[in-house]
Amino acid sequence: MRLILACLLSFSLIFASEYIGTTSYSNDDFEAEFTTKNDANLFDPLSGYNEIMTTFNDNFYEYLLRPTAQGYAYVMPQMARNGIANFFDNLFFPIRFVNNLLQLKFYNGWEETERFVLNSTMGILGFRDVAGEELGIKAHDEDLGQTLGHYGVGSGFHVVLPFFGPSNVRDIAGLAGDMWLNPINYIEARDANLLDSTEESLATTAFYTINKTSLHVKEYDNFKKDAIELYPFLRNFYESRRNKLISE
Amino acid sequence: MKRILALLMLTLLGSHPLLAIEERDISTFMQNNIDLATTILRDKKIQKPEKSEKLFAIFDSIFDYTLMAQLALGGKQWASLSASKQTEFTKLFEQKLKVSYMEKLDLYTDEKIVIKNLEKIKDARIHLTTHLMKNSEVYEIIYKFYKDKNNSWMIYDVDILGVSIIQTYRTQFADILAKEPFETLLEKLKQPDEPAPKK
Repeated sequence: MRLILACLLSFSLIFASEYIGTTSYSNDDFEAEFTTKNDANLFDPLSGYNEIMTTFNDNFYEYLLRPTAQGYAYVMPQMARNGIANFFDNLFFPIRFVNNLLQLKFYNGWEETERFVLNSTMGILGFRDVAGEELGIKAHDEDLGQTLGHYGVGSGFHVVLPFFGPSNVRDIAGLAGDMWLNPINYIEARDANLLDSTEESLATTAFYTINKTSLHVKEYDNFKKDAIELYPFLRNFYESRRNKLISE
Repeated sequence: MKRILALLMLTLLGSHPLLAIEERDISTFMQNNIDLATTILRDKKIQKPEKSEKLFAIFDSIFDYTLMAQLALGGKQWASLSASKQTEFTKLFEQKLKVSYMEKLDLYTDEKIVIKNLEKIKDARIHLTTHLMKNSEVYEIIYKFYKDKNNSWMIYDVDILGVSIIQTYRTQFADILAKEPFETLLEKLKQPDEPAPKK
């Protein structure tokens, strides 16, 4: 049995290897498909700064964030960390809700509301994602950057932010707007603040980040291994991903 | 058990490049391949190297690595290379793709993949949309087929969450080649695990 299987396998390998190096395509269609976002005409005025910031962020992750997250994961069981991540996601409801409405996605906005009510009560302050797990009501992640993109605002050039990572002009504008809706930020001009000071806000954000990172260390490390050049790799990933999210 | 094995062998046979894949067969053909791949992935008795070898046997018949390498490098650059350099690059690129895939195997747990939609973009292009489900999350993966000169449908790119694999390599290769000669790119491809340290 094994032998036959091995024979079959080797056959397909032989035939596959015949494919290599035999053909050369001069298909303009293909070139056009991948040239649209091509690199020669890519407008990247900050590339020098961006590369340095990418290295900075990468070092920050490698030497500070990852070890901290791993140490934290060592003392905190995964179930608790999942719960904490759920708790924060539930808190960010205003960002998703408002941006769903801004994009006239009323049904999604309604589902977000259902999620918030169910998870805050039955899910005990959002620690359990009851709506998603039991009723299959999924979160509809939207932010202001996506809303702007939805209405045709172009991404502008790529900017790598310290700590935040890859972004672009449009998404920075979005990020600034979303800060207003983010409950764990402290904004004096805002009527209601969950936290009492900027220090508390920073500490909470740090905790959120460490908790979230601890859940994805393996995935991120694996993802980063694919990079040959980290900056263009992350830039392309970020911009493509954002375009996809906006189109959804 | 024997019947399952026979079925497996049939699908293996079916994945043979000599038998051109017809348009109407793409969905069934891919579903069979995905099922087969999933069976291999879930088999805890097979060691990792053997596992990937089996998986690559499936992939080799449907992925057009030569075209992928050419697209990742860009037509102009490709045309400027000698035939032997093209072959060397293609081999390294194929290897890079495979190593990257093999590393992902460790992350595999019990994800399911289902085919969602087959869309004919134009005469010689088909996009097959699949969903990978992991703990109630859904990830979209699109396989992009083209009709090759043997009238067989082959994969030339894969979109994961809206990110094209070919585009990902293309931007990186362009970035490297803007500053350094082609030989450096080959060198970098040879050590796939270490992203080049920044000066």
